Amino acid sequence: MGNGAGDLPPGFRFFPSDEELVVHFLHRKAAHLPCYPDVIPSLDPRHYDPWDLNGKALPGGNQWYFFTRRALSRVWASGYWMPTGVEKPVTSAGRNVGIKKYLAFYAGQAPVGIKTNWVMHEYHLLDCPGGTSADDSGWRPSKTSGHPEVDFNEWVLGRVYESDFGSQSSFYDDGTELSCLDEMFLSLDDLDEISLPK
Amino acid sequence: MSITVNGESRVPPGFRFHPTEEELLDYYLRKKVAGKKVDLDIMKDVDLNRLEPWDIQEKCRIGSAPQNDWYFFSHKDKKYPTGTRTNRATAAGFWKATGRDKAIYGGVKRIGMRKTLVFYCGRAPNGQKSDWIMHEYRLEESRDDGSHSSEGWVVCRVFKKKSHYRIPESSSSKNTSSVAGAAKTKEIFRSCSEGTLDQIIQFLSRSCKHENEFPIVNPILTDGGYAVTASRGASVESQAKLPPLENPSAISLPFDCSPHVGRSSYLQDSIHVLLSVDQGYNEGPEVNDWAALDRLVASHLNGQSSCPEQAAFSFCPTINGLLYGGCGGDSQEYNPADMNLWAFTRAPDSDSPSTSRRQSASVD
Repeated sequence: MGNGAGDLPPGFRFFPSDEELVVHFLHRKAAHLPCYPDVIPSLDPRHYDPWDLNGKALPGGNQWYFFTRRALSRVWASGYWMPTGVEKPVTSAGRNVGIKKYLAFYAGQAPVGIKTNWVMHEYHLLDCPGGTSADDSGWRPSKTSGHPEVDFNEWVLGRVYESDFGSQSSFYDDGTELSCLDEMFLSLDDLDEISLPK
Repeated sequence: MSITVNGESRVPPGFRFHPTEEELLDYYLRKKVAGKKVDLDIMKDVDLNRLEPWDIQEKCRIGSAPQNDWYFFSHKDKKYPTGTRTNRATAAGFWKATGRDKAIYGGVKRIGMRKTLVFYCGRAPNGQKSDWIMHEYRLEESRDDGSHSSEGWVVCRVFKKKSHYRIPESSSSKNTSSVAGAAKTKEIFRSCSEGTLDQIIQFLSRSCKHENEFPIVNPILTDGGYAVTASRGASVESQAKLPPLENPSAISLPFDCSPHVGRSSYLQDSIHVLLSVDQGYNEGPEVNDWAALDRLVASHLNGQSSCPEQAAFSFCPTINGLLYGGCGGDSQEYNPADMNLWAFTRAPDSDSPSTSRRQSASVD
């Protein structure tokens, strides 16, 4: 599988925001709506491991994206995913539209597996529209009312990566970092701000 | 074809323009130099003299997604018709190079260089540093295949620096001790040899790593207006950030440690050491001088609980000279001996009365 960028020129990469993942990709997947670009594949990960997603899931930077059925999402070939307990709401236009859960991969059999440095962000649509906060009501599009068979909990969207450098938050930490040496020289330039007394 | 058609972005959701440095140079800039059209017209030509950094984001928008960095081509115009320096001044300020240029590799082969620039508001040399940073990439000038130069074209990436490494500093220390310190250490480091530059950088890098733990010592290296690499062998300056003037304990260090030392002999010693240190720098300093500087730093980091060894001890009057020489009114001659006399006539003023008396007595 390529980078999914289709006929985009070099330099374009998949660096989605949480909001894009939930609103544009996961919601459309759940609602059986056509999705352009249809770049995120659906996986049955029971036979996969986090380290062999290359070629099977959509790469973006050093992360991999895929859909999976919620029931299948946690037990993989060589181990299992454990929730870390950290969850974050995903908002769009001031409304909660989904939840982002952080999981860690343990190699071996539950519950005695060995923790690895593989991490998954698991994106869920909100269970019940209008449930937890008043803001939620009205977000779920009216399309759903005509499709009572749509189960918004059927699919989750996974983002998997190996966390060897601490936190990795896709697009938003990239590009605006300076190297340590650059930072040093910048601080040294402060001397220029000082003008000597005449 | 453009990146937007009828106002609609052609970049699908989730995708961002996030090129590698190799892609910027080997694909985009090479295409530009060869006069070929770049796909989707994603990179505009920007006249850096006419565009302020905060206007770049509007001009260089790619699609509709939020962006943290912006890309464009720029043509380097000469500052002077015969010179090689580039004019990067705008109406509101100017771009100033910082640090060393970094080599960019494509595989094992060097394909170009990256220069880092900072935007200053105002006019040199009194500009106010901003958080706007530019990486300017240029192709390697002479290519193996004989084709020559990038015709003055560069590809640039502009972004706003996250400022989370800055150390808050009081305005008092900046306006007083730093000024004098800068002046003096400029002198000290003026004639550093090229080999010394690397030592300075190593030294500063080491200090840099600890700057959060030890905010007292914050050496500053600058280049007199241009990238250090561009002027290797030229002047290199450093600054030791000193404790605020309100803190007399550091200033009275020599006397607290050795109250029995008579002032005149101590003064002679310190002048002697100071002169020899200066001489050492002028003659191509070796590791010894750096060891002395390290000890100086160490003595300031460790506080005044123990008596410093000779080298650091001798350095202290120099520091007093830094502190007081520059704010001492008319003393603009940076004669080391004068500086030291200033140090000893002025330092006790802010010290304890007993020390002052002792000093004035021994002076006469």
